[in-house]
Amino acid sequence: MIACLVIPGFELRAALRERPRLQLEPAALAPEPGAEALVGSVTGAAEAAGVQPGMRLGEALAMCPSLQLVDPDPAAAEQAWEEIVRRLEDAGFAVDSAGPGSAYFETRGVERLYGGLEPALKRALKAAGAGWDARVGAASRRFAALAAANVARSGQALVVSDERTREFLAPLPVSLLPMDARRREELEELGVKRLGELAGLPGGAVAERLGPDGRRAWSLARGGSKRRVRGRRPAAELFETLEFPEAVGNELTLRRSLGVLLDRLLARPERSGRALRKVALAGRLVGGGSWRRTLTLRDATADPARLRTALAPKLNDLPAPIVMLRLEALVLAESVGNQLELVRPEGDELRAHLSEGLRQVRAGTGSGSVCTVVEVAPWSRLPEQRALLVPRDD
Amino acid sequence: MPTIKAVPASPVRRINEPVSVRVEAHVDGSPRRVNRAEVALVREEWRVVDRWWTEEPVSRRYFDVVLAGGEHAVVYLDEEVGRWFSQRGV
Repeated sequence: MIACLVIPGFELRAALRERPRLQLEPAALAPEPGAEALVGSVTGAAEAAGVQPGMRLGEALAMCPSLQLVDPDPAAAEQAWEEIVRRLEDAGFAVDSAGPGSAYFETRGVERLYGGLEPALKRALKAAGAGWDARVGAASRRFAALAAANVARSGQALVVSDERTREFLAPLPVSLLPMDARRREELEELGVKRLGELAGLPGGAVAERLGPDGRRAWSLARGGSKRRVRGRRPAAELFETLEFPEAVGNELTLRRSLGVLLDRLLARPERSGRALRKVALAGRLVGGGSWRRTLTLRDATADPARLRTALAPKLNDLPAPIVMLRLEALVLAESVGNQLELVRPEGDELRAHLSEGLRQVRAGTGSGSVCTVVEVAPWSRLPEQRALLVPRDD
Repeated sequence: MPTIKAVPASPVRRINEPVSVRVEAHVDGSPRRVNRAEVALVREEWRVVDRWWTEEPVSRRYFDVVLAGGEHAVVYLDEEVGRWFSQRGV
């Protein structure tokens, strides 16, 4: 079985951990600086006052004048989510995180450990921790598990058997489908409001009317694929933090601080000489809230100058002065260094470089993303008959 | 006999598969609008007739068009099924 653990409005809950009083009042996640003025997740009290997530800010304030806007705190959300994922991993689940507030895992490997599917799901809920209102759904397909988790009540584990998947999905709203809002509106304008109504349409007609997104949504409405869940590789616990006595917005000071953090991080013995593959830069904003950017390096490196060149431009995205800057090494390379070259690589060496490049692309985009073009009938008058894309996962 | 079939997702994919498009045509059969965008110019027109000796014959009327927004597109009418498709790599 594939299980999906969902914590609704996770970013808002994470931002409200410091101000639990607001959880009972009408509050909503404020839009990110520079982004469209739409409210994010909302509390139960705000929802009761008619405020919906994704509503225009003006409309939300008109609907509920006492609505309190909470600054997004992506760094706190990321950290809180990482803690939850680690607790799930400690409980024996191989977790595939789909972003803060949603994670998938296979239960097969741990069912015997906990004495069955339901005890294993209960264990996962316990690992998520109290106070988050986590819920979990299990099914033989990913989307059905996600739908079950969205339907489940707080603290509930809902299991959907394979033969009942279509029946279970049929009455659920199409808003559960991960698709573009415009496409979803188009579906609703056509009178398709439930997953069962979409699943009952001919696939070809859906693809013709709504394109590839529609076809994907149609396939999900019928249960989706049975793709296995692959557990993530746990992130490295390596970070350095710099607290400022007063708010800093000056570019020169920020760049110098970044240099200091880099030197400290690279000097950490836990790194064992390994280069950095993925790093994150986070800051606590002076008016509350936080800012965070992650960066995957094309070539893993431990060269401070190259890291500084790659990371410094991110500091320009800071929306406000900060009181704390933090640098995290998220993924470390497996090798400890690269041999320098005096001559241009060729032959086996060039092929090794190419495979390393392809490995990085696969690491960033997932299995099946690197393909070889195989010509099968280059003479054909039908363009689609001339060549195939064959995935290369070797 | 349809030439385009819905097949289950496979790890091996064809390149330049035709994609279904909405085309409004003039009385002479040439495209007037492609996905609601006006056709500014039909640059070229040709036919591909193939596999007429098989159970799945191919008969396509291709149009190389420039849309009002300046985009370039190649669309064809599959005369076997009476539906329009766009295709790259032609």
